[in-house]
Amino acid sequence: MRIRVRRTGGFAGIERRAEVDTAGRPDADELRCLAERVLASGRATPAAGVPDGFQYEITVDGSTVHTADPRLTEEQRELISRVLKEGA
Amino acid sequence: MVRGMTTNGGSQPVFCTIVPPHVLDRLARAEDPALSGPARRSLEHDAYQRTKRRLTTVIGAAAVAPPAGAAADQPHRTVYDAEHTQDLPGTKVREEGDDAGQDASVNRAYAGLGATFELYLKAYGRHSIDDNGLPLDATVHFGEGYDNAFWNGEQMVFGDGDDEIFLDFTIPVDVIGHELTHGVTQHTANLAYFGQSGALNESVSDVFGSLIKQYTLGQTAAEADWLIGAGLLAPRVTGTALRSMKAPGTAYDDDVLGKDPQPAKMEDYVRTGRDNGGVHINSGIPNHAFYLAATALGGYAWEKAGQIWYDVLTGGGLTEDALFTDFATLTVKAARERYGAGDELQAVKKAWEQVGVRTL
Repeated sequence: MRIRVRRTGGFAGIERRAEVDTAGRPDADELRCLAERVLASGRATPAAGVPDGFQYEITVDGSTVHTADPRLTEEQRELISRVLKEGA
Repeated sequence: MVRGMTTNGGSQPVFCTIVPPHVLDRLARAEDPALSGPARRSLEHDAYQRTKRRLTTVIGAAAVAPPAGAAADQPHRTVYDAEHTQDLPGTKVREEGDDAGQDASVNRAYAGLGATFELYLKAYGRHSIDDNGLPLDATVHFGEGYDNAFWNGEQMVFGDGDDEIFLDFTIPVDVIGHELTHGVTQHTANLAYFGQSGALNESVSDVFGSLIKQYTLGQTAAEADWLIGAGLLAPRVTGTALRSMKAPGTAYDDDVLGKDPQPAKMEDYVRTGRDNGGVHINSGIPNHAFYLAATALGGYAWEKAGQIWYDVLTGGGLTEDALFTDFATLTVKAARERYGAGDELQAVKKAWEQVGVRTL
């Protein structure tokens, strides 16, 4: 499973993106579960955020959901932070 | 497929280990407080966030009344510490009138809220964000290495930065002023945060953010650096700030960050679907127009140029979906109404002409 996060907006307006391939990772099951929950709870169109708030696009094996600060669910927050931190 | 279960490469089912709500419910009723405590807190937090969200959607942002007896010409500040979580508002750490403590982020946020309140009151007679004494709340240490600051519709939120690219977002006072000005815009012209009106919304925040810094330092238009976010970039980043109103497109040029993409003129307007239609990019054009008008007029920029921009923002003539040309036309009108047919009018007209925005 490929999990991709694209973060746009923010005070700086600088885009960041990262991708994690769960294949071969020790935490693959955990990430897959997290990604599945995020897909199930996300919205298909860009979410209205707040000025300077980050907006996120999460793509899991071709399916994309959107979310935005400051209204992330715990699961979205966890997945986004792990992919941006550990992804390439 | 059963929710909460996923397939592993199409063969072995894997059960998700993240605690689902119904399990939290059961744990919350457990007799062992080590089990029930955290579960209850998680449930309460989720329910609280959901309810608050729904309420905000239905009734709009709460109109918070200033506490009884609060002097109208004094800010009413409260700073909270999120302690690296993303739970708002966090623990209250400093209230209006409290002495400075050990935490530099808390002290900077408190001072920045005060500086913003001060400029709006002294220069424009505005009483806080809503012109009705709105208490100013801010949360610092939001998240872990969080690279952002924002106004969430009710309060300020500051991250510490990751120390790789960004430092603490409470460092530049213009960043604090920028974010609080989003609150002012929300309560006045309410410019839609997309495309040209979104870039105007961003520009207005940069303009007053910069003016708050200039007012704090007592600088004239000629002395000011006209930078947004100076001091925010980590030492390893090649750049001086995030945006330059004086020379849009020159604030940074870095291996990781890339190059500052801001245009200074309408002919270089960037058409993009990203960043809400490039709101942080095309704001360079109205930003530069303000810089040109302010430096042409000389003296303190918040006095004349700032007054004209403030008149437009709060005058009622600016629509939510305004284009650059609408905003520019209103500044010309405001300059004439406030100062007559003199240098101010000419400076404003010429500034827009130089950035290639038509005034009617």
